[in-house]
Amino acid sequence: MQNVHDNSKRVQVFAATLLLSLATLWQINVVTVSTAFGDEESQQPSDAPSKADHKGPMCFVVDNFFADEVWAKVGERTCLKCHNAKGDASESTFLLRDPSRDRLNRAVAMQHNRKAFARMASAMEGDKSRLLQKIVGNLDHGGNEVLKVDSTGYQILDRFVHRTNGTPDNGPAITDYDAPPFFDGVEMISPQRLLRRVTLSLAARLPSKSERAEVNQDGLKAVDVILDQVMQEDAFYERLQEAFNDILLTHGYDGVAEGALSYEHFKSRLWYQDRDPRKGLNEEEKKELPYSHPKMIAYTKLIREYREGMRREPLELVTYIVRNERPFTEVVTANYIMVSPYTSRGYGIYEELVDKFKDSDDPFQFIPTKINALQNRNGRTAQESPTGFYPHAGLLSSFQYLKRYPTTETNRNRLRVRMYFQHFLGIDIMQLAPRVNDAAAITEKYEIPTMQASDCVVCHKVMDPIAGLFQDYYVVDGKGIFGPRKDGWYEDMFEPGLEEENLPAEERWRSLQWLGERTAKDPRFAVAMVEHVWYILFGRRPLLPLEDIDDPLFSAKRRAYQVQRSEIERIADLFAKAEFNLKVVFKELVQSSFYRVDGLAVAAKDPRRKAELDDIGVVRLLTPEQLERKLTALFGQEWGRLTHRESKFKILYGGIDSKAVTERMTYPSGAMGAIQRIMSNDIACKNVALDFTKEPSHRNLFPNIELNVVPGDGPDADAQIRQAIVHLHEHLLGREHSVDHPEVERTYQLFAGIVSDAKATQGIEKIGSYSCDRVDGKRLDDLHYTLRAWRGVVTYLLRQHDFLYE
Amino acid sequence: MQRRDFLKLCGSAGLGLAAPVGLSPISRVEAASADSSNYDGPYYVVFNASGGWDTTYLMDPKGINEMNRLYKEGDILTQGQHRLAPNAAHIESGMSNENFFKKFGDDLLVLNGLDYSVNNHSPCSRYMATGKLDSLAYPTFAALIAACQGADAPLAFLTFGNYSSTGNLVPMARVPYLNSLNKLANADAVNGVARSRYHDDFVIDRIESALQEQMNARVSQVRLSRVERSQSMLYAAQLNSKALERVTPYVPKSSPKERLSRQADIALASFKAGVCVSANLNIGTFDSHANNDVDQMKLLPELLAGVDYLIKRSEELQIREKLVIVIQSEMGRTPKYNKNNGKDHWSIGSVMFMGHGIQGNRVLGATDEKQFLVPIDPKTLLIDEDGGIRVRPEHIHSELRILAGIEDHKFSKQFPLKVPDQERLTDLWG
Repeated sequence: MQNVHDNSKRVQVFAATLLLSLATLWQINVVTVSTAFGDEESQQPSDAPSKADHKGPMCFVVDNFFADEVWAKVGERTCLKCHNAKGDASESTFLLRDPSRDRLNRAVAMQHNRKAFARMASAMEGDKSRLLQKIVGNLDHGGNEVLKVDSTGYQILDRFVHRTNGTPDNGPAITDYDAPPFFDGVEMISPQRLLRRVTLSLAARLPSKSERAEVNQDGLKAVDVILDQVMQEDAFYERLQEAFNDILLTHGYDGVAEGALSYEHFKSRLWYQDRDPRKGLNEEEKKELPYSHPKMIAYTKLIREYREGMRREPLELVTYIVRNERPFTEVVTANYIMVSPYTSRGYGIYEELVDKFKDSDDPFQFIPTKINALQNRNGRTAQESPTGFYPHAGLLSSFQYLKRYPTTETNRNRLRVRMYFQHFLGIDIMQLAPRVNDAAAITEKYEIPTMQASDCVVCHKVMDPIAGLFQDYYVVDGKGIFGPRKDGWYEDMFEPGLEEENLPAEERWRSLQWLGERTAKDPRFAVAMVEHVWYILFGRRPLLPLEDIDDPLFSAKRRAYQVQRSEIERIADLFAKAEFNLKVVFKELVQSSFYRVDGLAVAAKDPRRKAELDDIGVVRLLTPEQLERKLTALFGQEWGRLTHRESKFKILYGGIDSKAVTERMTYPSGAMGAIQRIMSNDIACKNVALDFTKEPSHRNLFPNIELNVVPGDGPDADAQIRQAIVHLHEHLLGREHSVDHPEVERTYQLFAGIVSDAKATQGIEKIGSYSCDRVDGKRLDDLHYTLRAWRGVVTYLLRQHDFLYE
Repeated sequence: MQRRDFLKLCGSAGLGLAAPVGLSPISRVEAASADSSNYDGPYYVVFNASGGWDTTYLMDPKGINEMNRLYKEGDILTQGQHRLAPNAAHIESGMSNENFFKKFGDDLLVLNGLDYSVNNHSPCSRYMATGKLDSLAYPTFAALIAACQGADAPLAFLTFGNYSSTGNLVPMARVPYLNSLNKLANADAVNGVARSRYHDDFVIDRIESALQEQMNARVSQVRLSRVERSQSMLYAAQLNSKALERVTPYVPKSSPKERLSRQADIALASFKAGVCVSANLNIGTFDSHANNDVDQMKLLPELLAGVDYLIKRSEELQIREKLVIVIQSEMGRTPKYNKNNGKDHWSIGSVMFMGHGIQGNRVLGATDEKQFLVPIDPKTLLIDEDGGIRVRPEHIHSELRILAGIEDHKFSKQFPLKVPDQERLTDLWG
C-alpha cells in the first residue's frame, strides 16, 4: 500500500483545486464584462438587469479581448485551476485571482489577472513569449502541456502576445459587434397579463376584479402587493410542494411510505392495523367485509392518507418555513420535523401532540415537533444524544429524504453527497466528470484509489468527508435509516468533515446539524435556492456555462449566461439580506426583466444578438398538473384525466412519477399533441352547452351572447359575435384583443365558416350532439348550428399556444 | 402557402409537419399514409443494460484469474468469430448466450475494449448515449437521428429510460403502455371510439385550417426565439399526432409480460406505422455490487431475450432488414469479486451492433487477461498495443452518424464529436 501521507500535500492541493474548480466550472459567480476593446478606462453600461432596468456605470475596466477571449476561454477554465493561491502552482509568480469568488471585487481581480497575463506575454524566453512556452509544457511547466499549438486556446494566447507586444495580430476582428444593453428592444409583459400569469401559476386561479383594478391603477407596484397575498393562499403552498418535489423527488422513495420509519425504532408505524375492520375476524366473517364495504373503504382511505402524509413530510417542512417566513436555511438546519395527526401516530408521539392539532382527524394538518433520540424495540438506547432528542437537521436528517437517496456498501453515502451538493449548493458534481487517461489502470494500480490516485482524490477529498457525516444513517437493507455501520466507518475514506475542517468527535452525535449549520453559511446556498425558484417559475434550469470555446457565438452566449447569472446573484444577495425569506426570491424573480419578457419590438438580425436573446422569455409548456389547474380555474370544474391517480395521461403528457421518471418533458411530442386534441375536444364538449344553459351573468364563456345570434344576420349580430370572441380570447388565452384584431377576425371566420358549412350540408340535425350537447339528459336545440360552432371555437382556442404555454 | 414552403419557414424549429389539412378525415388519413412523414426506415434501436453489465459473462469471456466463478477459460465457447461465455446451465429464464450467438452470431458485430474513461453511472450513461463526456447539452444518438431524419414523425424519438437528452432538437416521447397508443390514435373521437366523434368532419377541417392560417401568419411576425420554436413544435405535435391513427393496426392485442418485449412492441408498432425513427429500450439494474453472478445471470438473458423478441416481431412486421440495433451498457464490472460476491464499476467494456449496413460475425478490439483495454489500429481495426488508439464512445458515435448518413447534417455539426481523421474507425461496419 502506498503511504497515504506521502500524498498529503498533493491531496491538499487537489482538494483546494477542486474547491476552486467547483466554483469555476459551475460558475457560482462569473465576471461580467462589456467594454470596448482597447478602451480600458471607458465607462460602459452594465448588462446586469434589475427591477429598474439598471443602466449604471461600468463594472469593469478590462478590454474585451482579454475578458471574452483570454480569460473566458483560457484563463478561467485552464490556468486558474492551478495558478491560484491554494492551487498546485501556488508558488508560481504567475498567480491569478478568481473574480467569481468575490463579487464585490471582480473588477480588481480581472485587472490583476490581465496584468499577470500581460507580464507573462511580454517576458521573452529566447524569441518566444514565456506564456506561449509554458502553456505547451516547455520551461519546466509544472502542469506539463496544457494546450496544443493548434488549439483554439493557444491561438488566442498567441494573439494576446501580439497585442501586448504591439506586433500585428493577424486574427479576425472581434470588436465589430457593439452589444446593446441586454434588454434593448425587448418588450415586457403588461402588468395585467403578468398578474394573470402569476395568479394562475402560483395560486391556480384567475385574478379577482379588485386585483385587476389595483393593477390598472398602480401597475407593477400593485403586482408586488398582490404577490404578498398570493403567497398566503393554500394553493400557493400546494404549488410549492409540487415544485419542490420536482427538485427533491422525495415522493419517490422506495417501498411503502411508512417504510421510512424503521421496524426497529418505531413500534407504532403500523398503527392503522388496529383499525382494520377485519381484525380479529375469521375467514368467513372477513368475507362479509369486502373492500367495497363502507368500513373497508374508510379504512383504505385512512391508510392512503397516512401514507400520503408520510411522503409529504419533507415538503411540509418547506411550506412551513416559507409560510411562516422563517429563514429558508432551515431546510438544512431545522431542529424539528413536521408531523400530522396520522404520521405522529407512526412516530408514537400522537398522544403528546394531540392538543396541538386543530383537528386531530385531519390527515394533512402538519405541525412542527421534535422526536426523541431513537430507541430500539427492546428499550435500549439506539442513538446517543445529550439533549435526549433526535438531532434534526432539516431535510438532511429527514427519514424520507435519506430513504429517497439510500446508501449502499459501495456508494457509501456518496449518492447522498451528490444530492447534497445538487440540492443545497447548486452543484452537479457529475456534470463534468474529469476524464482520466486510463481509469481502469488507476483502479488497479492503487490499493485505495480514492485516497491515493490524484485523478480520484480530486473529487473524493471533497465528497468522502461529507459522506462520513452521514455515517450513522447507514442502514443498507432498506429497512430503516438510522444505524451506524456494523464494522465501523470506513478507514479507506477521508475523515468525516467538510472541506478542510474535520468533524470534532464531540459533534459526532449531531454531525448532520454540524453540516447544516455550515451549509447555511455557504454563499452557494443562497444562489442554489434562487436557482430552484427560477426552475419553479420558468420550468427550466438557468443557463449552464459555455463549454465549446470554438463556438463562433461563444461571446454572445456567454453574455446571455452572465447577465442571467448576475440577476440570480443579485437576488441571492437580497435573499440573504432578507434573512433567507424565500418569498423575497419569488417576488424579485416575478418582477425581474427575465420573467416579464414578452416579445421583441424589432427582429434581432445580427446572429450574435439572436444568440444573446435565444433563451429569454418564460414560454413554458404547462405541466399536466398546471394544465389541470388552469382548466379548473377557467371552467370551474376539473378535467381530471391528466392527474387522477389512475391517469395514464400524466406520464404520457410529460409528467413525472418521482421515481423512474424524474424529468418533465418540455417539448410536446406527437403523443402529447394527441392529448392536447383530446383535451380541447373534451373540455369544449363538457362545458359549452352547459355554459349556455346558465343565466348569462353566471356564464364563464358566453355571458354576452345567445345561440340565436347568427353570423351574417346584420351588423349588430356580427358585432355581438365579435364581442363574444373578444371575451373568449381574454378568458381562455389571457389576450386583450380589440374587436378588429386579426386573431379575433380569424376566430370569427372560423365560427362563421362552421355555421355556413352546416347550412350547406344536408342532413344536419337541428339539435346538439348526443355526446356533448346534453344537459340534464336532454339534448339542447341547435337550430342554427351555433352551439356546435361555438364548441368548435372553444376547441380551437384550447389548442393554442397561448393556452397551453405559460 | 404550399406545405413545402411552410415547412421551410418552420425549419428553424428543427421540426416539420406531417399530415396535410383541409381534407376530409378519411382522405386525410390516406394522405398521411402516403405522406413523406411516413418514415420508412432505417429504424434505430438502442438497447441499454442500465447499471453496468459484466461483459466477461457475455461477449468478452475470460474465465481466468478468478474473474468468473461460473466457468473456466477452457469452458469458453465459440460461434463463428465470436467467443462467448457459457451460461445456459446457469439461467432460469430468458435467452442463453449459446442460443443468442447461435441465432444472431452471423449478424453480430462485437467491439471489446471500449474505454468509458470514467466509472460513474451518470457521466458514463451520458457518454455512451451521446459520444460526449463533458457536456450536458449533447443529444443522444437516438435523439439526433430522429431529429435529422424524421422530426415530423409524431413519436420520432421514443424513450423508455436511460439518458435521453434531445439537445432541444426533437421532442422525446414516452409511451409506457401499449394501449395508450390506441387511445391517442382517435383523439377526435369521444373516448377514442371512432364512430362517436366530438365534431362533424367539416368542423374539424375548419379548426385545422384556422390553426394552419394562424401558423402561416406567425411565420412573418417578429417573435422571441423561444416563442418561435415552441409555436412550431406545438403545431407540429398536434398536426403530426394525427398520424398516430396509423399505429392502431400494429398494436398487438395482448401485451407480453417481459419488460423489454413490452417496450419493443410499442417501438415496432410505431416503426411499422412510420411514426417513429428511433427508440431507447432500457432495462436495469445491472449494477451488481453484490451477488454479481446471480444478478447478471438473470439480467443478461433477459436482455438477450428482449433483442430476440424485437427481431422476431420485426420479422413478422417485415421490417427486420430496416433495423439498426445497438446493444450497450454504461460501464463494465471489475475483474475481481468484492467481498459481497459482487463486482464494482469498471471503465472498460464492450458494445454490440447488428442490422442494416453492419457486417456481422466480427469481433473487434480486445481486453487483456486482466480486463484492461488493448489499443487498436483505427484503420486496420487490428490490435496495436504500441501505436493504437483507445476506442472511446466518440469514436463509436462518429461512425454511427456516418452509418446513418447524418454526419454532415446541420444538427450533427451543431454537436461535433471532433474525432481526428487519423482516429476514425473507417471500416467499423465492414
